[in-house]
Amino acid sequence: MKCEILYPGAFPMVRVYLDASETVKAESGAMVAASPTIDIESKMEGGFLGALSRKMLSGEKFFFQTLRASRGAGEVLLAPTVPGEIVLLELDGVNEYMVQKDGFLAGAEGVKIESKMQSLTRGLLGGEGFFILKIGGTGQLVLNSFGAIHKIELKPNEEYIVDNSHLVAWSSTTTYNIEKASSGWIASLTSGEGLVCRFRGPGVVYIQSRNPGSFGNWIRQFIPVSE
Amino acid sequence: MALAPNALCFGDGLPGAGVPCAVMLDGESLRVSPMGPSSLVDQIVAFADMAVEAGGLDHDQLVVSWGTASSARTLYVKDPALIVAFRRAAPPELTAHLERAANQVRRARHNHRLLWGTVLGVLTGLGLLFWFGTDLMVEWAVARIPIEWEQKLGETVYQDFLSKETVLKEGPAVRAVQEMTQRLTEKIPNNPYKFQISVVQSPVVNAFALPGGYVVVFTGLMAKAESGEEVAGVLSHELNHVLQRHGMERMVKMLGLSAVVGILLGDQQGLTGLARQVGMELVTLKFGRAQETEADVTGIRLLSDARIAPDGMIRFFERLSEKDKERVEVFSTHPMSAARAALLKAELAALPKRTPEPFTFQWKTIQESLGASEPKT
Repeated sequence: MKCEILYPGAFPMVRVYLDASETVKAESGAMVAASPTIDIESKMEGGFLGALSRKMLSGEKFFFQTLRASRGAGEVLLAPTVPGEIVLLELDGVNEYMVQKDGFLAGAEGVKIESKMQSLTRGLLGGEGFFILKIGGTGQLVLNSFGAIHKIELKPNEEYIVDNSHLVAWSSTTTYNIEKASSGWIASLTSGEGLVCRFRGPGVVYIQSRNPGSFGNWIRQFIPVSE
Repeated sequence: MALAPNALCFGDGLPGAGVPCAVMLDGESLRVSPMGPSSLVDQIVAFADMAVEAGGLDHDQLVVSWGTASSARTLYVKDPALIVAFRRAAPPELTAHLERAANQVRRARHNHRLLWGTVLGVLTGLGLLFWFGTDLMVEWAVARIPIEWEQKLGETVYQDFLSKETVLKEGPAVRAVQEMTQRLTEKIPNNPYKFQISVVQSPVVNAFALPGGYVVVFTGLMAKAESGEEVAGVLSHELNHVLQRHGMERMVKMLGLSAVVGILLGDQQGLTGLARQVGMELVTLKFGRAQETEADVTGIRLLSDARIAPDGMIRFFERLSEKDKERVEVFSTHPMSAARAALLKAELAALPKRTPEPFTFQWKTIQESLGASEPKT
């Protein structure tokens, strides 16, 4: 499997080359176009219960689609729903990323995806919900974001503060705490930041340059109210 | 032999995501072999030169650090087998700290599970309370509605309904229904309701009861019945819907919490307004299975008390269920099941044997009078 990002920027697409009988897992509905040699299978990653728990718990789509080059090598074009950058990560079996539920776009066959329950505080306050995806294994992983993706590299014990709705993915070697943005509650709320995550290295944190929730609120004022 | 990476190494000059390394135990030290394209060389770190702790997002990784300043390196090991092997091989003074951390993690994980368990338990409890509690709450709220309100409510809908229908004012059929009602209501202990029964000209095989004691019998039902006892059975069933206040319960359930709150606050005006809104829905009100069973059982008891042959009720029900294809509306919501008939029979067997007293009218005459007044279709 070989990936190439087309039209980098706000409206990118990923071209995935597959050798004969190779497969790629993608978020369901992500396929834009494909060679005639590619078959689309709907597969419940982690079995029925795994898929069900992922659907019920993390809100991730019930099925991932598996695109298989069953009749010879070919290519697949994949695109996310929201406008925003795409990033390619290479998993080597040791690296492991926690990915917020909308961040996964596609992954090679060797990429393992599970949903993971967060602690109550992180789930309640973290802004990613109680369940996030834990992605490990080997092969290429494609993540998508809302807006541009920014990579933050943290050295051991180095800290960085991120507004929780801008999180896309972070490596499992990092730890984070949720805290108020300012020292007082009032200031935290009025500053418009509310809660933030204090990450501590080592590891990598990927953030998105736009906040989907805020964008939703902003766009709501332009939606005509029917009736 | 090509080694698979089992750890990540971090430090100055290394990529932020860490360098994959193959780590092996080597006597009193760890052999760290960086993988990948970097020009890094293997390092052998003696146990004496390292510090260990637990780390990572879930505190389940072994963090080994050594060196100072720019040569400081931190190794994150996730492989459980390697962690176990390390804990066996390393001297106790090195791992004592780690064991404490491991214990802390275990405790944290236990608390985490306990917390989630509690949250799930509480949610399940609330769910169950909501599921079973609503019926109790509805009953509780209905018990607080004065009979007069119920009557006012029923009357509004009753008059609305009758104004659109042909009501039989007199005649043998009306007298027969009045006689049945008289015999039944006499036997109701502490009856708070003043029942009003109307016979409505309609081919529909049905009868219904509105809250407050307003009962409508359609001539279609009387034409279908083979005896007065059968009609009396249906009537008894309907009267008991009123007596058990099933209509009110359904309505409160339908209107929801706002009505319940309204009732509690004594907002009769609001309640009547809502009743008008649901108006005709009240007429076609579908009772629940439990309510139907309750009305069946109390209905057959009332029949027995009134010395009206109760098997008429069972026979009528059974006959209707046989002809279920005709969609007899009186039981279309809950088609007669064998279980329901069996229940009635069992109830009847448990009741004291009483000699039934026949009605004063001849059923044939009543039906003939209906046939005369009803245009043939």
